[in-house]
Amino acid sequence: MRPISLKLVYFTLLLAFICHLLPWAGFGLMLRPDFVLLVALYWMLRAPHLCNIGTAWLAGLAIDLASGGLFGQYALAYAFTAFVAVSYQRRLALFNIWQQAGYVFLLLLLTQLTLLVLKLFAGYEAPGWHYFLPSVSGVLLWQLAVFSRLSSNHPKHQS
Amino acid sequence: MPRAMEHQHPQAFFVRGPSAFARLLLFAALSIALMATDSRLHYLIEIRQGFVALLQPLQMIANLPTVLYGNVREQMVSHQTLLEDNRRLSLEALQQNAQLQHLRALQEENDHLRSLLGAAQSISQPAKLGEITHTGRDPFTHKVVVNLGSQQGIIAGQAVVDGAGVIGQVTRVYPFSSEVTLITDKDLAIPVQAERNSLRAIAFGHGRDNTIDLPYLPANVDIREGDVLVTSGIDGIYPMGLAVAKVTRIERTPDSPFAHIVCKPAAGIENHRQVLLIAASSAATPTGAVISSNTKPSEAARHATHKP
Repeated sequence: MRPISLKLVYFTLLLAFICHLLPWAGFGLMLRPDFVLLVALYWMLRAPHLCNIGTAWLAGLAIDLASGGLFGQYALAYAFTAFVAVSYQRRLALFNIWQQAGYVFLLLLLTQLTLLVLKLFAGYEAPGWHYFLPSVSGVLLWQLAVFSRLSSNHPKHQS
Repeated sequence: MPRAMEHQHPQAFFVRGPSAFARLLLFAALSIALMATDSRLHYLIEIRQGFVALLQPLQMIANLPTVLYGNVREQMVSHQTLLEDNRRLSLEALQQNAQLQHLRALQEENDHLRSLLGAAQSISQPAKLGEITHTGRDPFTHKVVVNLGSQQGIIAGQAVVDGAGVIGQVTRVYPFSSEVTLITDKDLAIPVQAERNSLRAIAFGHGRDNTIDLPYLPANVDIREGDVLVTSGIDGIYPMGLAVAKVTRIERTPDSPFAHIVCKPAAGIENHRQVLLIAASSAATPTGAVISSNTKPSEAARHATHKP
């Protein structure tokens, strides 16, 4: 396989951003997985020399601008998650697919919790349990991507 | 192939640049600075506007699927449905024309009476028709984005209504779009009065469940279930008499001095695409100077003299 180029990383991030911009509404909006974070996490775990905390921070900034909320909250949450993801990145090679999925799920939850804390500080009302649905749908999407790669191509990591 | 992939990992062992923790500290500090600047100092409005204008092409690409879907569905509408729609709409137009003539007579009479009383003439405010392009990105704020922006002369603070009642208020204006905060949002307050007894109050969005609250009213307040709340027009932003909500539930508990009143918005907040953006009246005079009971006659007269 060709080495991963920086262009590919930014192109996939852009695609994920367009997915984020799709006109989601109602239940879809509630379920919408965090595409940009998922793609950023994928590259961070796969190629941390190309996609690191700075990239995640910039992606978060773009989301902040698009969502029109308080400027910098997504950036902070993404940077924090990226830090955790990158610090444990080397151990990931030892994990099997399900352990990886669990790890990604924890990272997504961590992002949402950080965001929740920031939002509560900014004076939002505490949301219901469905606030955490995007983490669930996000990890499902992650597994779907992993499995589709498995069936078509080759195993990524086999422990 | 997979081996080749894994050979990329050792590169990461030789981390160039600052450590991960140092990077985290740097970016966290930057984000916190940005948040503080945005929430307290409001320096970032221009940057935000510029970026959203840049985002416009991406947004159009993202909206393409729904636009295409809508077009295809329009093509598929059968001849029969169109005929039925046409018949129904012309019937409605006929009925509304009849009502309109009645209204014109009433308006003339009203203007005449107002001039007799020396009160300010009620101003009819011009409106622009906009279309909702998408709902807000954040599921926990109630916002929609409309396809009119500062290029079309929209300014922040304008009222937004649909056929059935008030939807909300323009809170942020970008070059080609603007953000409308819905009346169900926790941060939006709107002065209302009950249609039945002209009781004035301020309605706040509940933030969840698409309802509106009427807080700070005493437990013995004269409000019943089914009462219709309309805009009072005292704020000078919303024209007087637009439907806002209907009272659906009232709870009076002995341990609270206030009644807990829950209302359902009148406008189809979730299901309309076309909305009207009403231009704010330049002089924020209370249009209902005579009707609002606490305005003294002298004040009403003063407002009248202020009018050019």
